[in-house]
Amino acid sequence: MAVATATDSSSPMQTLADFGKSKSLRTLLRVLILCFIAGAAVSSRLFSVIRFESIIHEFDPWFNFRATKYLIANGFYDFWDWFDDRTWHPLGRVTGGTLYPGLMVTSETFASCWPPAFSGLTAFAAYLLTNEMTTNTSAGLLAAAFMGITPGYISRSVAGSYDNEAIAIFLLVFTFYLWIRALKLGSVLWGALCALFYGYMVASWGGYAFITCLVPLHAFVLICMGRYSTRLYVSYTTWYALGTLASMQIPFVGFLPVRTSEHMPALGIFGFLQLVAFIYYIRSSLSGAQFKAFLFVGLGAVFGLALLALVAMTSAGYIAPWSGRFYSLWDTGYAKIHIPIIASVSEHQPTAWPAFFFDLNLLIWLFPAGVYLCFQDLKDEHVFVVVYALFGSYFAGVMVRLMLTLTPIVCVAAAMAASQLLSTFLSVKSPVAKDPEQEDATDVSSKKIKQNAGSLRSTNSPYVGVYSFMSKGLVSGIMTIYLLLFVLHCTWVTSNAYSSPSVVLASRMPDGSQHIIDDYREAYQWLRQNTKEDAKIMSWWDYGYQIGGMADRPTLVDNNTWNNTHIATVGKAMSSSEEVSYPIMRQHEVDYVLVVFGGLLGYSGDDINKFLWMVRIAEGIWPDEVSERKFFTPRGEYRVDGEATETMKNSLMYKMSYYNYHTLFPPGQAQDRVRGVRLPDTGPVLNTLDEAFTSENWIIRIYKVKDLDNVGRDHAAAASFDRGHKKKKAIKKRGPRTLRVD
Amino acid sequence: MKSIAACAAVLLSLISPIVVADANVAAPSVSKVTLPSTFKPPQVFKNANLVHVISLEKNFAKEQINVVVENDSKEPQDEYFLPFTSQQMERVGGFEVKDRKDSSLTGFVVEAVEYDPLSDTQYYRIRLPAPLPPKAQQTIGISFHYLQALTPLPAAIEQTDKQYLVYSFSAYCPSIYTTVKQKTEVKLPGSDIPEYTKIAGSGDVKEFPQKSGAKLTYGPFPEVPAGAVSPVKVRYEFTKPVSHVTLLERDVEVSHWGGNIAFEERYTLYNQGANLSTLFNRVKWAQSQYFNPTSYALKEMKFPLRIGSTDAYFTDAIGNVSTSRFRSNKKEASLEIKPRYPVFGGWKYPFTIGWNADAKYFLRHKTGDSYILGIPFLEGPKQPEGFGYEQVLVRVLLPEGAGNVKFHTSIPESSITDVVVDQQKTYLDTIGRTVLTIKARNLHDDFRDRDLIVSYDYSLAASLRKPLVIFGSMMSLFVGTWLLSKVDVKLSSK
Repeated sequence: MAVATATDSSSPMQTLADFGKSKSLRTLLRVLILCFIAGAAVSSRLFSVIRFESIIHEFDPWFNFRATKYLIANGFYDFWDWFDDRTWHPLGRVTGGTLYPGLMVTSETFASCWPPAFSGLTAFAAYLLTNEMTTNTSAGLLAAAFMGITPGYISRSVAGSYDNEAIAIFLLVFTFYLWIRALKLGSVLWGALCALFYGYMVASWGGYAFITCLVPLHAFVLICMGRYSTRLYVSYTTWYALGTLASMQIPFVGFLPVRTSEHMPALGIFGFLQLVAFIYYIRSSLSGAQFKAFLFVGLGAVFGLALLALVAMTSAGYIAPWSGRFYSLWDTGYAKIHIPIIASVSEHQPTAWPAFFFDLNLLIWLFPAGVYLCFQDLKDEHVFVVVYALFGSYFAGVMVRLMLTLTPIVCVAAAMAASQLLSTFLSVKSPVAKDPEQEDATDVSSKKIKQNAGSLRSTNSPYVGVYSFMSKGLVSGIMTIYLLLFVLHCTWVTSNAYSSPSVVLASRMPDGSQHIIDDYREAYQWLRQNTKEDAKIMSWWDYGYQIGGMADRPTLVDNNTWNNTHIATVGKAMSSSEEVSYPIMRQHEVDYVLVVFGGLLGYSGDDINKFLWMVRIAEGIWPDEVSERKFFTPRGEYRVDGEATETMKNSLMYKMSYYNYHTLFPPGQAQDRVRGVRLPDTGPVLNTLDEAFTSENWIIRIYKVKDLDNVGRDHAAAASFDRGHKKKKAIKKRGPRTLRVD
Repeated sequence: MKSIAACAAVLLSLISPIVVADANVAAPSVSKVTLPSTFKPPQVFKNANLVHVISLEKNFAKEQINVVVENDSKEPQDEYFLPFTSQQMERVGGFEVKDRKDSSLTGFVVEAVEYDPLSDTQYYRIRLPAPLPPKAQQTIGISFHYLQALTPLPAAIEQTDKQYLVYSFSAYCPSIYTTVKQKTEVKLPGSDIPEYTKIAGSGDVKEFPQKSGAKLTYGPFPEVPAGAVSPVKVRYEFTKPVSHVTLLERDVEVSHWGGNIAFEERYTLYNQGANLSTLFNRVKWAQSQYFNPTSYALKEMKFPLRIGSTDAYFTDAIGNVSTSRFRSNKKEASLEIKPRYPVFGGWKYPFTIGWNADAKYFLRHKTGDSYILGIPFLEGPKQPEGFGYEQVLVRVLLPEGAGNVKFHTSIPESSITDVVVDQQKTYLDTIGRTVLTIKARNLHDDFRDRDLIVSYDYSLAASLRKPLVIFGSMMSLFVGTWLLSKVDVKLSSK
């Protein structure tokens, strides 16, 4: 709808065309269109609220929500010093120093519904940025419309995803706009504003490094192209000096900007710019031959020295080398081998190519055209688009999550291409001879269009145009259809793919009514109300934030994966046999263990399917005790049925998932609907844990860790005694089974 | 609807004893009498005949004492005292006194007597409408109930077991007066009564109680001196949830502009039945749901709401609960909710429900600036097994600027512990809304349709306050922006 409105701005109506001449009406129209776009952007993100409810859906946002609540309750200074003893039991987490506080400070009170509000601002920022690139204002409106509804950005900013990214993309685009503005004007004011918003961005999202790298890169490319100017010098140095200072105010960032490799390009270009400025100054006062000699000696020496210093400081440990996540950006296989914890997150996987089309639809093929258009009129800001497009594409190809950083530039470039196409073909007037004054009497509306179109062309170039009315109609018609299809696609993707909360599963009943499967919250609410306030819950780290937020209970590990060893400990407890796991759980004072099991419902995101990552992460720390190979059958299959390996069957995770499950079925018909296999008739035996709660559809299973035996027996003996005591006859029947000692 | 107004008009004339006069004056509750600590109730009455009925059909103990009192002294008397142990005082509620012969006779005043907080015997004082002349008789019916008086035995049972409760009481009705003739009847929910205390009989009955189906009868007993007790216990099957709400906060928000009344109720619900002896087993639960659905776990609640209620919701601390059904049509409005999990004994489930209703069903414009609001005091679930409330906090949020707040309720006066009128600020408020807060204790779901009638003054000027404030602030914003845009901040005159 918004797209239609955007193109409507040049709709041929007599009165409008006459009115259209006045500047104030154009402004009014532009403001109206932008408001409509903001409205469309916000409302398309409210699908989940309408379909489900206004809750926070995802995993990470629960932490943000909790942190915000803490901020409100305790104020800003306590927030910095917040030591959270309810996570990472028994270690705790220095939360104030390990988060990006921008989001919490921004939102304080309004919770789940505000990411959509920011999307309106992002659309506006895209409008501003595009207007810097081209004189054609309709391109800006198109860019705003694209930005407003493209699924690539919606995926992270739907209502209910209370996440850093929602606010960060607005800041990203706006910072870039301010940077272009500062560069164009060579203005300290705009440079300072840019630094301010950069500081805000740093406070909001770890992805600020993208700006930290892209702006210097842009500056570097400009210098290499021989486009050094005082404007560049002023804007870059202002931004760097103030921006770095601002970023260092965030405790989590602290001295990183001068100590890590990720921030080195910015610092290096800062130094390089001083050097270049100095050289330009020298050149203006020296003769040609002298200058050449000076250039070779001086520049070579400085560059060599700087490089040496960098290498020396890195090896001496003053500057930290690239972090793991950054390595995985260059070598996509790196993480899988060295840091399984990063690779285990689906967001960190390389992007599959259909995802580009899924998230960006027609923009993905308009995008190269837009970049090409930038080459036609290669000013400083167009160089920025080209550089951003190149790097954005690369990163988006490497990591699914970084599709988000690519989206703004795709919108900008695609809008440029689309508006170029439309303004060329929507001009009803055919170019007749060389007299642009002559009016086509058949259409009165051409005046306005001509104004739009005419401004793109330089007046002295030969007047080339489309003569046939047929081709004009065809191209603009097809383009309109594409735009409409884009809107349809965006709506469909948003409503179907990105608006289903992960906490709640929705399905359709035979009569078409919606059936909601709410097992997560059922179990979390049970934990919250019916366990001790300080009962420690062990679960895989994916659910850590949710347990902390919804169940309000301390957890061992959570989605802030700062301590790999601790996560590996949980992985080891889950993947080892009870005899090994029990002491680990006792040592960590675990009261309850929570597993996610989708076998009954066919919910594939369960713990058995994530199990191999737990094994891998545990193996990374204890290669002697946990071995991934042992979970595969000799034929290399990962099985959970009767043919599963002994290690698999004895692992705590397997036992907890399938404990008692077979009793739900008639003999011989127990089935796992996720793996699609039939399970053995005798279920696993648990000695050290008691089943405490199982949700309605068995998605969440909670086990209570048994206390030590009263008379000092080990749990296996005690449990088998209990079983024997209850069913004396059963012992005779299946004697060997009860005598088994694990 | 006219009946409500008419009824309200009548009731308004009765309001005077419990009026909270001015909007800013908070009058504390007056349902207590303070007497010197050496107080001993005078032995001026005699119970000529007494029938004590204890109903245990629901999950609280309901007692009814029908007694023929006779003035045993020389002067006319109008103060009848009823003794309770200090433990019972905590849990007793819903005191109502009627004349059994003449039901039109009103004016019985029931008040708790405060004299010595350390004494184990405490009293409720019943003031008769008219003093009883010497040797005259009056038949009065006293009804009240105890919450949390039933204890499960065994205290922990299996998920599919039957639940048994124990109730202890005295076979002789506790009284500080001599009782000439009395009997105690115990009504139970079923005939499965494995244990009950047997005492020696009198007259031609050898042993009490006499059991017939679900009813036990102790007595009739011959004359019993004042203060005599004979402790007995009864243990009976009650495989139903013992739902108990420790705190119910009920907010009623009146909006004149919106023509809407918004209700929101927050329950802190416990099941005080037997605990689980082994941990919860989903397989067994699913099977028992299929084969034998009676259970002592609370799995569903039904809220019959007033006709015309809309937009019902059911949430808890972590968001919407999808297992609810709401039906609203011209004949009924009913909200059926299921907790996220079956609430077993010892488990807790706090939740919130709310709904809207058109103000025309509840709000009447009387004369000039005064309005009358008539709402149910309590609208909790209607459960066959009963539903007890330990603390009830009803807050009526009247529009900003409402004053001269008076109320009347048909809830027993002795149950109301505190009444406050103050202000609360919400969105776009400048002086805050007038809030009438009524605290009550120890109620149960039999009181769910009792009325609460609030009258208040709300002038046109007060109702225009909010639009004017919004208009004024928007205008000042625009004027401010306009003024700002006039300021020239350029350094050069280019």
